Amino acid sequence: MNENYPIVELLGIRFNVANCLSGLLAAVLVFILVFALSRKVEMKPGKAQNFLEWMMDFTNGIVKSAIPGNEGRTFYLYAFVMFLFIFVSNQIGLFLQITVHGQPIIKSPTASPLVTMALALITLLLSHYYGVKKYGIGDYLGSYIKPVGFLLPINLIEEFTNFMTLSLRLYGNIFAGEILLALIGSMAHSFGIATFIGVMPIEMIWQGFSVFIGSIQAYVFTTLSMVYISHKLERE
Amino acid sequence: MAEYLVLGAETSTLGDFLFYLISFIVLVVLVKHFAWGPVMKMMDARSAKITDDLEYADSEREKAEKMVEEREMALKNSRSEAVEIVSTAKENGENQRKAIVDAAHLDAEAVRQKAQEDAKQAKIDAMNDVREDVTDISVSIASKLIQKELSANDQKSLVDSYIKELSADETK
Repeated sequence: MNENYPIVELLGIRFNVANCLSGLLAAVLVFILVFALSRKVEMKPGKAQNFLEWMMDFTNGIVKSAIPGNEGRTFYLYAFVMFLFIFVSNQIGLFLQITVHGQPIIKSPTASPLVTMALALITLLLSHYYGVKKYGIGDYLGSYIKPVGFLLPINLIEEFTNFMTLSLRLYGNIFAGEILLALIGSMAHSFGIATFIGVMPIEMIWQGFSVFIGSIQAYVFTTLSMVYISHKLERE
Repeated sequence: MAEYLVLGAETSTLGDFLFYLISFIVLVVLVKHFAWGPVMKMMDARSAKITDDLEYADSEREKAEKMVEEREMALKNSRSEAVEIVSTAKENGENQRKAIVDAAHLDAEAVRQKAQEDAKQAKIDAMNDVREDVTDISVSIASKLIQKELSANDQKSLVDSYIKELSADETK
């Protein structure tokens, strides 16, 4: 977990190679997963299709619980992809961490606040976009001074905190998990073979727990995304 | 880490943001095209098919029930029809039998009458014959009596013999 990330500058925009590569890897893994599972789409589903449909039903259920009815159908696909992407991103760092010349190339993308903020930003943009689309720009802006005008600053702060909590919760969980993983790893190497064997069960336990945390965080992120979007779509 | 949180400093904020935005959108499009679309379509088709099947089964069941009712009605009708047919046949048979028996009776009566008539006729004929014969015999007896004197006994036996002859003639 060093801060020495490889940076590439392109057209005056700076790219963090580690974030981009591991994000790309996560996206490719997600795509390979769903691509492999959806090869034989039939009326009577096979094992692969059943599994895929089970995942789709799971994320659809998340959306339905926040946005009931037909309105939610718009977000089924978004929730599905977001959930899988974050889930895979959370798990990548647990078994794959590549470092070249002291600079990490592959890690959990979600262990970087920039990445989680980017993902939260997508959700926030979607929620505002659909809010404006449904009620019109005047009504949308009017919602910030409801139920009374002096709540405007609080409403604005709420938007900001939604964004921050959504992104930093995910980042904090995964980042902490990876740090602890790295610490346990360095402890294993501290006194040769004895500590290596002794620490291995601890590492395994923590890895298992991290898998659990990664799944929970993917679920929480998707759920909260849908809740924030539903806030923009529903009026009391 | 502080370096990250200071936006616009020596960080890669914008690049990463853009990269994730674009890669996420591309991922959504790809997933939709290759997996989500077909599977979702199939799920919708399946739910539509299930609804259709249920409705179809319902209508089929109704149809079957109606058919059973119809069959039962037809069966009931055919049963009464059969009873009617049998009873008509019985009646016809009875009538026919009566007619035949009546005809037979009539025939028998006619035959009997004819036989009676024939017998009467025969009797009359026979009586006529006998009368003639008796006349002839009486005449011949008288002539014989006249021809010779006979004792009372001889006379009796003579008459007996003639009568015997007569009865033999009659049975002939």
